[in-house]
Amino acid sequence: MPNIKIFSSSSHQDLAQKIANRLALELGKEVTKKFSNQETCVEIGESVRGEDVYIMESGCGEINDSLMELLIMINACKIASASRITAVIPCFPYAQKDKKVRGFFDIPVDNLYAERAVLKWIKENISEWRNCMIVSPDAGGAKRVTSIADRLNVDFALIHKERKKASEVDRMVLVGDVKDRTAILVDDMADTCGTICHAADKLLSAGAIRVYAILTHGIFSGPAITHINNTCSEAVAVTNTIPQEDKMKHCPKIQVIDISMILAEAIRRTHSGESVSYLFSHVPL
Amino acid sequence: MFCVAPPESETKMNVTKGGLVLFSANSNSSCMELSKKIAEDVNTTIMELLIMVYACKTSCAKSIIGVIPYFPYSKQCKMRKRGSIVSKLLASMMCKAGLTHLITMDLHQKEIQGFFNIPVDNLRASPFLLQYIQEEIPDYRNAVIVAKSPASAKRAQSFAERLRLGIAVIHGEAQDAESDLVDGRHSPPMVRSAAAIHPSLEIPMLIPKEKPPITVVGDVGGRIAIIVDDIIDDVDSFLAAAETLKERGAYKIFVMATHGLLSSDAPRLIEESAIDEVVVTNTIPHEIQKLQCPKIKTVDISMILSEAIRRIHNGESMSYLFRNIGVDD
Repeated sequence: MPNIKIFSSSSHQDLAQKIANRLALELGKEVTKKFSNQETCVEIGESVRGEDVYIMESGCGEINDSLMELLIMINACKIASASRITAVIPCFPYAQKDKKVRGFFDIPVDNLYAERAVLKWIKENISEWRNCMIVSPDAGGAKRVTSIADRLNVDFALIHKERKKASEVDRMVLVGDVKDRTAILVDDMADTCGTICHAADKLLSAGAIRVYAILTHGIFSGPAITHINNTCSEAVAVTNTIPQEDKMKHCPKIQVIDISMILAEAIRRTHSGESVSYLFSHVPL
Repeated sequence: MFCVAPPESETKMNVTKGGLVLFSANSNSSCMELSKKIAEDVNTTIMELLIMVYACKTSCAKSIIGVIPYFPYSKQCKMRKRGSIVSKLLASMMCKAGLTHLITMDLHQKEIQGFFNIPVDNLRASPFLLQYIQEEIPDYRNAVIVAKSPASAKRAQSFAERLRLGIAVIHGEAQDAESDLVDGRHSPPMVRSAAAIHPSLEIPMLIPKEKPPITVVGDVGGRIAIIVDDIIDDVDSFLAAAETLKERGAYKIFVMATHGLLSSDAPRLIEESAIDEVVVTNTIPHEIQKLQCPKIKTVDISMILSEAIRRIHNGESMSYLFRNIGVDD
């Protein structure tokens, strides 16, 4: 009976450690280093022959380096006779707007949702959640936002960009009424945070009492931290698919929603052959 | 609409200036050549190459030829301990992305050609280096070709044969950690339980090799020493070899290598060492290293690459480019 072995690439050791702790396992020993000519070298430090291997890698920071490390680690496990290799990629790189990742693969893909963890966070951290409004900062996120709003039994609104003439800059138009309500902006990823900050301004000027922002993947590159520090949102909550420790030091408004239990439970269920669809509707404790 | 910029209009294509030379707009049946140099960040360059190749493939290019003078990860072509054979991984990725032909130069191990299922042309830089020796080193007839470790003896031998010179081989302690003799399968497995191994099947313990102190096999006294190798990256082994050769009486020391990676502080170390000149080809850009160390000289190999591209495009034979190559080169 194969055992679970979890390996982590250097992109997000912290999350891998949390997952391993939840599964009461040690992270697999492996040495990743870069030669002076920038070539990556990976050496697996323990036997994986006949084992069920899970390799954690998140598309953050130096994406090309992380990707090559992941590929090299998968190759190393394969030629070391691992029984099954599963890649755990919380934030899938190069897939900015391509949600339908599953169809591009010939292998099974389990696309997990952070929605449940987000709902739990809202109920625990926002006291007036029963009277709030969920807002999407662009028209594409309407489906996501209505799903959350339905589960909380609250209303939703959305912001869309309107361009009057071709050369004019977009204008943000709020569809829905947020007056005297707490508004919660929900989006899947935030890179430079320009959209989120403009949306927050718009909501406050339309009469919202408080604005929160919840994002699944907080990439936060470039001027993002400055934008968040200057924004009028109360808090910006992101999941830990991408490591946030450094950014939290510079920006007290960032809060982290831990999703390691979802991943750990998914790994456990995949390993023992149980259904993973339970995770689409429940958050493990 | 477009094709390869025909070499008649520009006599040499300088493949290393400007990294990316992309010929073509949107073409249905044309031949595309993508030149790639390997820059500081290897992984990003590889991803860029793969993305470009795939973009060309999905835009219906008839054939996509990668011109990759220095093939990356070529030192990771064997399994070491529990590592990965990255060259094979890269070869699979490139073939899958849509590459139909590969032109490269002086592969670290010729077996890497076998990792691809597309035609690979492994051109040689040795004719250019030999020409440099004959033209730029005034009394080259008094030189000895030196192999800095027994592994590169074959290459030294093939150079020496063509120049009608003698060879010398350096053997000893200063071997780099990733020598070709290390193979993962020699590492003894962990002993789980003594019962697992039948008592009568005693597997003999592998005796660790003892390295003798550095010796030079061959006579370098009163001669010019020319160390030849394919890649010069971490210069420690070259520095040690140069010291030894100096002690044995060599009055000038040259290092000739095809690929001058010269990473981290190699230029500084070379400047301070006993090496007189380091000659590399322009497969890898090293302008910065040249500024730091005037001992580094460049040999231009762009003409062989442009000739290869022209011949492939016209469907001509490539054997002319391999005519003076020895078996071991």
